[in-house]
Amino acid sequence: AAAAGGLRRAGWRLWRGGRGGGRCQLSPPHRTLQASAVLRRVSDEQKEPLASSSQQQFDSHPTNHQPEQEPQGSRPSYTGQGGQESEDFESEEQLQHRILTAALEFVPEHGWTAEAIAEGAKSLGLSAAAAGMFHSDGSELILHFMSQCNTKLSELLEQEQKLVQLGEAEKKPTDQFLRDAVQARLRMLIPYIEKWPQALSILLLPHNIPSSLNLLTSMIDDIWHYAGDQSTDFNWYTRRAVLTGIYNTTELVMMQDSSPDFEDTWRFLENRVADAMNMGNTANQVQSTGEAVVQGLMGAAVTVSN
Amino acid sequence: PAGGVSLRRCSTRVSLEDVNRPVIDRIIRVDHAGEYGANRIYAGQMAVLGRSSVGPVIQQMWNQEKDHLKKFNELMVAYRVRPTVLLPFWNVAGFVLGAGSALLGKKGAMACTVAVEESISDHYNSQIRTLMEEDPEKYKELLEVIKQFRDDEREHHDIGLEHDAEAAPAYSVLKTAIQLGCKAAIYLSERI
Repeated sequence: AAAAGGLRRAGWRLWRGGRGGGRCQLSPPHRTLQASAVLRRVSDEQKEPLASSSQQQFDSHPTNHQPEQEPQGSRPSYTGQGGQESEDFESEEQLQHRILTAALEFVPEHGWTAEAIAEGAKSLGLSAAAAGMFHSDGSELILHFMSQCNTKLSELLEQEQKLVQLGEAEKKPTDQFLRDAVQARLRMLIPYIEKWPQALSILLLPHNIPSSLNLLTSMIDDIWHYAGDQSTDFNWYTRRAVLTGIYNTTELVMMQDSSPDFEDTWRFLENRVADAMNMGNTANQVQSTGEAVVQGLMGAAVTVSN
Repeated sequence: PAGGVSLRRCSTRVSLEDVNRPVIDRIIRVDHAGEYGANRIYAGQMAVLGRSSVGPVIQQMWNQEKDHLKKFNELMVAYRVRPTVLLPFWNVAGFVLGAGSALLGKKGAMACTVAVEESISDHYNSQIRTLMEEDPEKYKELLEVIKQFRDDEREHHDIGLEHDAEAAPAYSVLKTAIQLGCKAAIYLSERI
């Protein structure tokens, strides 16, 4: 019974991917649908022999299935071929999320491509045709990765902030905070650094620019938010623009860097952040000087008129 | 503090997960821009009429606007809303409008006040309606603030009328022109 249940779940998952795709009326998921429908028909007719082979497949990825069942609460009930979808099952989005996360492991070898996604799907026990759910240029994989990195960064900064609030850590000066945050975020690229230039060029494609810009701006906003930025005037924009420039240039330097543990990159970052801080101070000095000059002129005008 | 960043207290954090972000973003951004503009308008009026008989009245209204702006600065940080890009423009435009209307005389300044405050209170009223339709419980604090400010602006409007705004030169033309400008400012600040 458990074996059959395992097979049903594996087939159900594939089928779900196809069914979910059916909403968008795309042809690739239909291939998946047909393939998995065949699988299920066969499975229903010959439960015993197939159950054992799928059980192996099921067993080889217990960790993949277990964590997913836990959050769902009650176990999904299979209501037969062509039955209604169970409410507790994972959504298409969650499935795509899982496939992309699994695909990251194959990026160093295959690059940010549909091949990596296919490998990822296969590693989860799904058909390689599941890669048809995504664009052929690997955009979603890159955006998924960026989004994951941003989330990790937010959590990291949130934890740091909690420590400071609890008094267990010193509050960092702004320049050090920015340096550490950018470095932490860039370090997440290190496992994929060989293929990252490819990713950057894909992100510059017109159809990707809105999403990649969105992810970039929300990351920069997060960093400034945790740095304690409370500006409500044009400074809000200036600070974010400056930090975006620092992040992008440091990222490019990192692509070319061959020093041990990217020392050169971090030194570059330190210098850019220092420049930015100086710029802020210089702007203030210019303003004070300007005000002093104006007052001097007013005084001179009053004196002359008297 | 010039150049430095101050430590944010835990209490100013608002739970951002369940608020309707697009709606709240717009509301806070445009209200912040509005209070900023109102501040500059009164600053312009004071620059011209500061030493006249209506000086104290304008100063009083200006002080209330300063409080309003302070409140919206806090809300902006708490809800992590970005300010409108047009702030430097409203800075200048507000001051020019205030000074320009004051150059038409005390009644001119009062007419400008009446026009602007009427626009603003209508605008706050529609925001209150929006928030009430969304979820009065969830946005209770924000609703309190906007209701209070709407009452303040209405009061300014009435003060303007008391000080012979309607006797200003070309009152109806002036009022219509200023209110059109306010509508455009509101439209732009919500989006940009």
